[in-house]
Amino acid sequence: MSGSDHAVRKVVIVGGGTAGWMAAAAFSRFLADGRREIVLVESDEIGAVGVGEATIPPILNFNRMLEIDENEFLRETQGTFKLGVEFVGWGRQGDRYLHPFGAFGQDLHGIPFHQLWLRERERGSPGAIGEYSMSAMAASQGRFGRPRPDLGAPLSQLFYAFQFDASLYARFLRRFAERNGVVRREGLISSVVRDGDSGDVAAVVLKSGEQVAGDLFIDCSGFRALLIEQELGTGFEDWSHWLPMDRAFAVPTANVGPPHPFTRATAHSSGWQWRIPLQHRTGNGHVFSSRFIGEDEARAVLLGNLDSAPLAEPRLIRFATGMRRLAWNHNVVALGLSSGFLEPIESTSIHLIQNGIARLLALFPDRRISPLERDEYNRGMRDLYEDVRDFIILHYKATQRDDSEFWRYVGGMDVPDALARKIELWRLHGRIFREGAELFGVTSWVAVLLGQNIEPLNYDPIVDSLDPGKVAMAMAQMRNEYAAAARALPDQEQFLRMANAWAPADPRAAMLGAA
Amino acid sequence: MTADPIRKVVIVGGGTAGWMAAAGLSKAVGAYPGLTIELVESEAIGTVGVGEATIPQILVFNRMLGLDEDEFVRETHATYKLGIEFVDWTRPGHRYIHPFGFYGIDMMGVEFHHHWLKGRLLGDTSELDDYSISAVAAKAGKFARPRNDNPNSPLARLGYAFQFDAGRYARYLRRRSEGAGVVRTEGRIVRVEQDPESGFVTGVVLESGHRVEGDLFIDCSGFRGLLIAQTLGVGFEDWSHWLPCDRAVAIPCTLAGDTQPLTRSTARPAGWQWRIPLQHRIGNGHVYCSAHIGEDEATALLLANLDGTPLAEPNQLRFLAGHRREAWVKNVVALGLAGGFLEPLESTAIHLVQAGIARLMSLFPTRRFSAAEIERYNRQTVQDYIDIRDFLVLHYSATERDDSEFWRYCRNIEPPDGLKDKLEMFRSSGRVFREHNELFTETSWLSAMVGQGIEPGGYHPVADLLPDAETLKRLQHIREVIARTVEQMPAQEDFLRTHASAIDLGARLPA
Repeated sequence: MSGSDHAVRKVVIVGGGTAGWMAAAAFSRFLADGRREIVLVESDEIGAVGVGEATIPPILNFNRMLEIDENEFLRETQGTFKLGVEFVGWGRQGDRYLHPFGAFGQDLHGIPFHQLWLRERERGSPGAIGEYSMSAMAASQGRFGRPRPDLGAPLSQLFYAFQFDASLYARFLRRFAERNGVVRREGLISSVVRDGDSGDVAAVVLKSGEQVAGDLFIDCSGFRALLIEQELGTGFEDWSHWLPMDRAFAVPTANVGPPHPFTRATAHSSGWQWRIPLQHRTGNGHVFSSRFIGEDEARAVLLGNLDSAPLAEPRLIRFATGMRRLAWNHNVVALGLSSGFLEPIESTSIHLIQNGIARLLALFPDRRISPLERDEYNRGMRDLYEDVRDFIILHYKATQRDDSEFWRYVGGMDVPDALARKIELWRLHGRIFREGAELFGVTSWVAVLLGQNIEPLNYDPIVDSLDPGKVAMAMAQMRNEYAAAARALPDQEQFLRMANAWAPADPRAAMLGAA
Repeated sequence: MTADPIRKVVIVGGGTAGWMAAAGLSKAVGAYPGLTIELVESEAIGTVGVGEATIPQILVFNRMLGLDEDEFVRETHATYKLGIEFVDWTRPGHRYIHPFGFYGIDMMGVEFHHHWLKGRLLGDTSELDDYSISAVAAKAGKFARPRNDNPNSPLARLGYAFQFDAGRYARYLRRRSEGAGVVRTEGRIVRVEQDPESGFVTGVVLESGHRVEGDLFIDCSGFRGLLIAQTLGVGFEDWSHWLPCDRAVAIPCTLAGDTQPLTRSTARPAGWQWRIPLQHRIGNGHVYCSAHIGEDEATALLLANLDGTPLAEPNQLRFLAGHRREAWVKNVVALGLAGGFLEPLESTAIHLVQAGIARLMSLFPTRRFSAAEIERYNRQTVQDYIDIRDFLVLHYSATERDDSEFWRYCRNIEPPDGLKDKLEMFRSSGRVFREHNELFTETSWLSAMVGQGIEPGGYHPVADLLPDAETLKRLQHIREVIARTVEQMPAQEDFLRTHASAIDLGARLPA
């Protein structure tokens, strides 16, 4: 019973990367009732994986939950806005499409917009479907403005997320958490003490010999999975037969122009390359499968595809795609890389952390830890992981590329049943159904399927109940409105500066000042 | 234009389901080029339609049809419904309300009821009902539509539905459907014709010899399942071990002068009795289990428990709880009783029809009838039935009653897995989760679990972020704001009159 003897009195977060400090910040806001201690143990000797990070729109909820000032947050993290992801070379070499945030167009009489567009395409020339996305139109011109729900469509249809420097983000959240009472302990963990009866983790022991005891442990130790795997041996479910990527080289470059308000993912022969433009530099990385390409070659592909000279040596990151069998085992909850890994192609890493935190808050236990609640947590996390996994698999499966062994493999592989059903329903009549609390909505699926040339055989027959002439007129009007609204926005750097969201230590600004 | 479009939809049967389907389809696909919609019904066959109570989702259907709410209320002699009152379910003498809308207001990001549970441990004795504007208004006989302009007003948290005369509802929808071009054909169906190869239904033949052909058939023929069962032989999933009631006797009576916008369900020794007050009469019925009580006794019990004078002969109904294994097979989609039956304890019959129509619209076929789309329709339809079933079983399995063989049987029903999980979760920590957009909200589950006497083992720890005194103060404040708001609301009678939706008083039967 909460408020009684069984309450969790001490939460210990192990590891202080993005996941650790996100958890610390959220707990400091929601669990610090004056009777509960929140401690984070990290060592400056261990580097975090954090590179340039891109996010998806639900991060706005996390910021809102923490009451974070968005402009300050952008300033502190060298952040930029993100309106979607541009995919280059995925369906076929030379192809290019944007997966934008927010919806395509406006539904008419309950019929999804993309169905209207599919029919109109057979009749006339409605233009690309991206011309009906507020976010896509702004992104294509490098512009940004905050949505104004009070102004109605089209600007209220702009959805956005952020791109930022992950280590600066962790530092920003650390200040937030420490201000709210989280205690940070510096030190390497040398061993773990278990309770003899329950097998629960009782304490972590630092190299100094100091013991940090707790009731609930949050494992944010990254790929090492110090508690959840090394100590508890929870087990890992490997998904590399669907997603064979297992390495990445990451390297920053200087910006060659104003940062784009979108992330780019460019397909290569055995993987793909990210490009995440921040205020002060651009993050780049080549995600590849070592089954199909060697490390040296992968490194060369990255270096050969940069906009400007690298600012550091490319750093190699190794990973396995899949998830921990249980994200919550005993009194240990794994958040971030210790709970699983899905390649960042749809920028879901931070969302998985954020969702785990929100879910843990909704199911926050007492010290007895009900198996039912733990199961509920694990079931929810599994659903989320599988949803994201399936959406990522789609990007590989829906390809016409056969220019490398890698693309022939992923194009021909069997996919999970739920994904096969989704693709089949799309092929028949262009229908997409969002199941339960699925993360990616209709627009996301439509953008990727159409963008990768997976065409439905027919549009939804119910569209024929709408007069084509009237629909065409309505669509033309929408298209004009999105174009006009996008033209009226400032470019993103201008917006960031006007909003006082531009980081002060800007080398380019200093140079301009000197000139 | 789509290839192989549906050119003709035939709806078989003209009860509530048939005319809802006709109205929905004519609205959604009426303008579909070359499409005709024909409904075949026979005046010789009665419909089951008794008084019908609904749940708030009907507002969505009404909006889809573009109904004027006042006109709809007037035409169907409807009253408003703010919830269901359950009497004697937990134990004799006990009562609780399952209200529509929401309880209180969420605080610190945690659902309201955790704060209420904490308050209870601190000695607060208020009832959950006190925090539902729908429940408080219902008890006071008041009604107003929710207001969405001010999210801080308790009126934003009010939910409502309707109680109406199902016969009038069907006639009202018939007028609208015929106005929108639906063709009604009178006649008894004597034969169903199928394609010899595919088994698809090609037409129905009437007693007169007239044939009605079609591409898509909607089976709204009621319990018989003329197409789905009798012709296509689709089996029935029997759930009577979970829901053993298999009979009902229904009878209308005169008004009793009460004005509460509520459906009432009163537990009886071998079943329960509904009471649905409309503008012109009260609908009553006794749902019972024939293994535990005979028809005569069940009828006598109903007649002995009416608040007014009977207006008709008792109408005896037989049914079986469960659902058709597949609601859509080949070119036949079953809606309403042809698709399954769940007792009207939570007023879900009309919702199931409406959900079927909406789903059919979202998967509207061509003459190619693709398996993947039909599979999806069927999978989701079964899920709807399961979700409702679990909620109904809760009312029977969570009871303290052991005063009759029937209730002793019910107490020992092994709940289905989904329900078991929900109960355990609530028992261990007071938490309620709504899975996969299931029909019933957290409010519904909470009201029924608390109402049926299930004790939660705790509350959300984040509720402790509020100091104890602050929790108690806020609880009191919410109660007061709701009470004050309800005081300002008009009586349901007055609301009906001022919105021109009351029927002519002269048409009302003497109380």
